Amino acid sequence: MTTHVPALDIHTSEHGSKPNYLNVTKGFKSWALTLDHKRIGLMYLIGVTAAFLAGGVFALLVRLHLWEPHGALFTNATYNQIFTLHGVFMVFIFVIPAIPGSLGNIVLPLMLGAKDVALPRLNLLSFYLWLTGTCFALYAILAGGFDTGWTFYAPYSLYTNQAVVSIGLGIFILGFSSIFTGLNFIVTTHKMRAPGLTWFRMPLFVWAIYATAILQVLATPVLGITVLLVALERIYNIGIFDPRLGGDPVLFEHFFWFYSHPAVYIMVLPAFGIVSELVTVHSRKPLFGYKLIAFSSLAIAVISFLVWGHHMFTSGQSTYAMFAFSFLTFFVAIPTAIKEFSWVATIWKGSIAMNAPMLYTLSFLIIFAIGGLTGVILGALNVDIHLHDTYFVVAHFHYVMMGSIALAFFAGLHHWWPKMFGLMYNEGLAKLACGIIFVGFNATFIPQFIMGSRGMPRRYATYVEDFEMYHKASTLGAIVLGSGVALMVGYLVHSLLAGKKAMQNQWGGVTLDWLSPTPPPLENFDTPPVVTHEVYDYSVLDLKTLQTPVR
Amino acid sequence: MISHLIQDPPKINYIESPAKIDALSDHWGQLVPLASTFDHVDGLFYFTYIVCIFFFVLIAGVLAYSVAKYRRKTWDQPAVSNVTHNTPLEVIWTIIPLIIVMVMFAWGWKGSLDMTVAPADAVQYKAVAKQWSWTFYYPNSKVQSFNEFWVEIDKPAAFTLQSTDVLHAFFLPAMRVKRDIVPGRQGTLWFHPTTKGEYHLFCAEYCGGDHSKMYAKLHVVSAEDYAKKPWDVLKDSTPQEAAASGENLYKQLCISCHSVNGTAGTGPTWKGLFSKQGDNYLGRQREVVTPDGGTQTITVDEAYITESIRKPNEKKVAELPYRNNNMSAFADLDDRRVNCLIAYMKTLADN
Ligand code: HEC
Ligand SMILES: [Cu+2]
Ligand SMILES: [Cu+2]
Repeated sequence: MTTHVPALDIHTSEHGSKPNYLNVTKGFKSWALTLDHKRIGLMYLIGVTAAFLAGGVFALLVRLHLWEPHGALFTNATYNQIFTLHGVFMVFIFVIPAIPGSLGNIVLPLMLGAKDVALPRLNLLSFYLWLTGTCFALYAILAGGFDTGWTFYAPYSLYTNQAVVSIGLGIFILGFSSIFTGLNFIVTTHKMRAPGLTWFRMPLFVWAIYATAILQVLATPVLGITVLLVALERIYNIGIFDPRLGGDPVLFEHFFWFYSHPAVYIMVLPAFGIVSELVTVHSRKPLFGYKLIAFSSLAIAVISFLVWGHHMFTSGQSTYAMFAFSFLTFFVAIPTAIKEFSWVATIWKGSIAMNAPMLYTLSFLIIFAIGGLTGVILGALNVDIHLHDTYFVVAHFHYVMMGSIALAFFAGLHHWWPKMFGLMYNEGLAKLACGIIFVGFNATFIPQFIMGSRGMPRRYATYVEDFEMYHKASTLGAIVLGSGVALMVGYLVHSLLAGKKAMQNQWGGVTLDWLSPTPPPLENFDTPPVVTHEVYDYSVLDLKTLQTPVR
Repeated sequence: MISHLIQDPPKINYIESPAKIDALSDHWGQLVPLASTFDHVDGLFYFTYIVCIFFFVLIAGVLAYSVAKYRRKTWDQPAVSNVTHNTPLEVIWTIIPLIIVMVMFAWGWKGSLDMTVAPADAVQYKAVAKQWSWTFYYPNSKVQSFNEFWVEIDKPAAFTLQSTDVLHAFFLPAMRVKRDIVPGRQGTLWFHPTTKGEYHLFCAEYCGGDHSKMYAKLHVVSAEDYAKKPWDVLKDSTPQEAAASGENLYKQLCISCHSVNGTAGTGPTWKGLFSKQGDNYLGRQREVVTPDGGTQTITVDEAYITESIRKPNEKKVAELPYRNNNMSAFADLDDRRVNCLIAYMKTLADN
């Protein structure tokens, strides 16, 4: 690596001398009752990371079980509970809140040049709702577990004698956490921008969080109502979804996907935001097609409400519905493709720093290309009929959810880590971990594409021997992937204990988050910032000191 | 309320995994070999695949080239270019993908129409899915087959699909067909088998417990073989034969919920339903719940078992947890097969 760090470290922040948000007050209460967006963000970060690790352990158990065709570890019933736990933890407790709750909370007000989010108390409430919802999930495990899959399809979720009501209430509460976060960020973006920070000078991470927030507020209530109806149906036998009482299971699927398709974008748009941010900073080049990316986020947010039926192509929809849903699904591919092309064009002819955040970003770009393109394969009606509910779909959405969203989350974490803690991690280990994760990830899921297109159905505790080779390869990949993640957690924790001091503007960013002191003080800026240049205008950066002019 | 949540998960008996079908697994294409006329699925799949590989190589190539060429070598190196727009380029990369996906859309839509409407001369079958077995009904045959079914080569086969409990899905990878089976609704599906052989049928919609064991084998056979009604074979002329056939049926239909060695399952064990005294079989006493909620005590006998199989909700076992578990009805199981099952149950009698 030939990136030279200036010998004279004049711009190392002098934390310790000046109080920052981490050390300004001490004690349990100062954290538990904090209204500071950065502390709330950190608490989210710890929480969602724990959820991710728990979900990861469940994933490893699933993969180890599938080492043998007849199942290596568990009874079928236990296996069903474990894959359900994996899905519920990863989707509802990790991915949905992860980026907005942690990085969004910490970075959004900084990027806007604000002291805090608009509604700090609501922000704290969101966190505690998240915690309460998670406790319900844990209670449901103690109360015997649940085996419905993360989709809770009726009528099985109505008949199974497991803790469906507890987990349903948990998800209901998690939903409110998400709605309040979205509401807060919408208001913050509208009301708290620094002087001179016009809409089209906002960093794309802000745009992405803003588009996400709209989806959170509009779509999540439908999920809340749906799980509530399942709970009520279980307790009072109303007859909404239960065919024995005249209800309609397909109605449940409509309700569920009406939320859960937009939810895919609730999960992925913040990841797009992180990647947009990182490709420009680490290429030191303005974003290619800034407005197009900003608008494509909004376009995706709107169209995503109109494609839910593509999860139900085999459910016996009318041919007209199939026509519309397939058409719109292909349509949503276009703004997504535009984003990918714009990121690549941004890197082209940049000044590309091959540091850890950039490596994670490049891994994202490769993996997301595969995830997006395989989505196009699934959009075709006749092909989807063959591939629906097979491992092909499993692999596709893991390329998007794990390979893209989680990797973007890691990228953002490495990018803003020095800002958050004023400390650096070991870059060599970080690059190594990124490589291991990249290899392990692809080794896990490429075999799943193959066995899926050959007919291996998902959610199978046992399988016909035809697929044994692919399952074994996938399990080995998962072990590699797991060790990469373990290494990452290891060096990040080590950085907190013994990391080198980070620079004030570690990567040479020109957005307001890099103008604030490192780590930021309680109210973020020593003097309220004023924005005088266009977004991503690297000509204002003093390349010798990596400082932007302070105004 | 809580106590019923904490009960042990149902114990599932070990069922042999279905065997490998060599002709399918030794094939090296990305899809299993096609055995029906729906070749447009393969056509569009491989077309899309190639388009995807093209775009992937393009993206990865540009990235690799950029990283190699424009790598930051000194700390303060600025970007080579600060371009933020290129309208012709942006128009091109919007329009070309748009055209390509619209082609895919039209191709897929046309294919799916083909798959929707069965030809008028199709043979009409019925498949009933229940937790966790498949029952197949044939035209002009009173006898059904379980977890195994036969169709004639080069005759379009149309299926009516029903479920007696939860969602399932009928998935024949080699035929490229799949359809969800929604309780309370009827689904339909058809294909035209073109190659003789054995094929996997999977349940593709999660249905709880033994979802992954909900497997059936499809035989595509010649017209002569089909005319012999290979599903209509049942050996039950002697009590021994009947009991052996009953054991077979048990393994096909009942093993996922009932044990024969005394362990608890979703349903009660069959061990000791009868006790043997000399040459006579005496049924045990059972407390049962009737649909109106009342309980009564009955003696297990042939009539009770037959009713338990065809209309399980008429008299439900009162003991917990069985009272809260459900068995879906085998309403159409014929008398001969029910008698085989009873013969088998009697071999499990206590002395
Ligand atoms: C999905 C699980 C399931 C399957 C499959 C199943 N059963 Fe049952 N069975 C039950 C349950 C639960 C009960 C107890 C509740 C009731 O009586 O309905 C039961 C009860 C019975 C009883 C009454 C037993 C007694 O001790 O009084 C008989 C007889 C019976 N089943 C026969 C069969 C036969 C024969 C098959 C296969 C053709 C079969 N069952 C398949 C779940 C199942
Ligand atoms: Cu979707
Ligand atoms: Cu199933």
